[in-house]
Amino acid sequence: MNAVRVTIAGLGIAMAAYGLEQLLALGPANLEATVVWLVGGVLVHDAVLAPLTVAAGLLLARLWPGRLPAAVVTGLVVVATVTLVAVPVLGRFGARADNTTLLDRNYLVGWLLLVTLTLGMAAAAALRSRPRRASSGRARTGGGSGGTSAGRR
Amino acid sequence: MNRRVPVESDFTSSLRSPAVASRVGLWLGVCFGLAFVTGLISHEAYVAHPLIAFPTRPTWGYRVTQGVHVLSGTAAIPLLLVKLWSVFPRLFARPPRALRALAMHGLERASIAVLVAAAVFQLASGLANAAQWYPWNFHFRATHDAVAWIAIGALLVHVAVKLPVIRATLGADIDATGHDRVGATTPGPVSRRVLVRSALLASAVAVLATAGSTVPALRRVSVLGVRSGRGPAGVPVNKSARAAGVVAAALSTDYRLVVAHGGREHAFTRADLEHLAQHTAELPIACVEGWSASGRWTGVRVRTLLDIAGATPGRDVRVVSLQQHGPFRETTLPGQFADDPLTLLALRLGDEPLALDHGYPCRLIAPNRPGVLQTKWVSRLEVQG
Repeated sequence: MNAVRVTIAGLGIAMAAYGLEQLLALGPANLEATVVWLVGGVLVHDAVLAPLTVAAGLLLARLWPGRLPAAVVTGLVVVATVTLVAVPVLGRFGARADNTTLLDRNYLVGWLLLVTLTLGMAAAAALRSRPRRASSGRARTGGGSGGTSAGRR
Repeated sequence: MNRRVPVESDFTSSLRSPAVASRVGLWLGVCFGLAFVTGLISHEAYVAHPLIAFPTRPTWGYRVTQGVHVLSGTAAIPLLLVKLWSVFPRLFARPPRALRALAMHGLERASIAVLVAAAVFQLASGLANAAQWYPWNFHFRATHDAVAWIAIGALLVHVAVKLPVIRATLGADIDATGHDRVGATTPGPVSRRVLVRSALLASAVAVLATAGSTVPALRRVSVLGVRSGRGPAGVPVNKSARAAGVVAAALSTDYRLVVAHGGREHAFTRADLEHLAQHTAELPIACVEGWSASGRWTGVRVRTLLDIAGATPGRDVRVVSLQQHGPFRETTLPGQFADDPLTLLALRLGDEPLALDHGYPCRLIAPNRPGVLQTKWVSRLEVQG
């Protein structure tokens, strides 16, 4: 077990060292530009995205105390993903006037379609699950987190 | 709500747990592994003299590996975000007092910082590159390759450090609490199972929303695809003749294709090329950005031209474009590709003469190669010594 871990770690350190060597070989200007993006990525996640998610979670908890319909959370995860993935095409940053075969869709319509469809399906699933939740009372409310999952598996 | 910097114990949700992290992490590892291996293949395809001679078959090989590369990176985006979400409280963990423990803690922190930085960098730069967006000053291909090694290396170190927890949590029920953070006992708004499934579903949606750029069957579904597949003769264009600055030279009556070998040169007009034996091949254009499209190309076999010049088989060929600038103005066509019967200097695409944006008067098209090496507006073939 320990030998396996040491081997994996050793291989990892060797690969990372090779990558670092490759990166340094690209010169100081390239390194500087890369470090800006390496550090920037961590900052954008830890100081912007993650706190926003925490804030969204708190807001959601206040608006909708207790357990949420699963479909709502799934829908929000999908919408967030689709929105992030759509940033480069929605912004059309790479578009070129001389090339009409690139970024050749109406991405705003596509994104709205995806978001509407996702939220619509989530809302429909949430509404459909409501009567069942009401009739089965508290049976489902404890599952999933506190270890009181006898009925879930 | 108070305004101090949070501490780890402020995060009481039992959703932010090793059980979720290891499960999402497993899928994330699969995506990163796929992206790494296909990335290495792409790198090998680019360099003129790789460790192992790059194969010419299957003809669609690079199309598939590069499609998998970009799509596995896209699939990793929600997985990485949910993974980071599940372990976010650890960012605020208090360092231990004892010196040895503190040193180990610091080392682990450093390895995680490298891993997160490299992982976010790879996904962000890859996502932008797929949309031909270059908002940075580093050399994309070389840097994306170097940071990939750092990311996978840091990932392996992370797996080695966490292996006992990974094995324990993956071996137990997802709702088991044995490895949970102390005090993380507040039930989440949904179950852990729902959270993991949400991340996987988000991955699937992201892939479907973009895959149409390389999977023709999904073109109508992929509303966020960078290319819909439209273009002259049904094939999209990466760089236009205008952007390459070759319009005048390509349309000039002075245009000649020169084949150089052993100090002698043979010049061909486009009409000369049309009078040589014509062959048709169904081959894809597959770009590093992850888009691809298949075309029916007709033209002269490169081998036919090399025979006219008297070149023996197995020789590398330097291919020069009319382009005056750009890193791919000159490329090396390895011998196995130059001799392949499917490797053409294409004069036609589909039922039309080659469009100016596709490389008129003639372009190189070879099986199983990255798009940027399929040189357009070819002006010169030099047999290497």
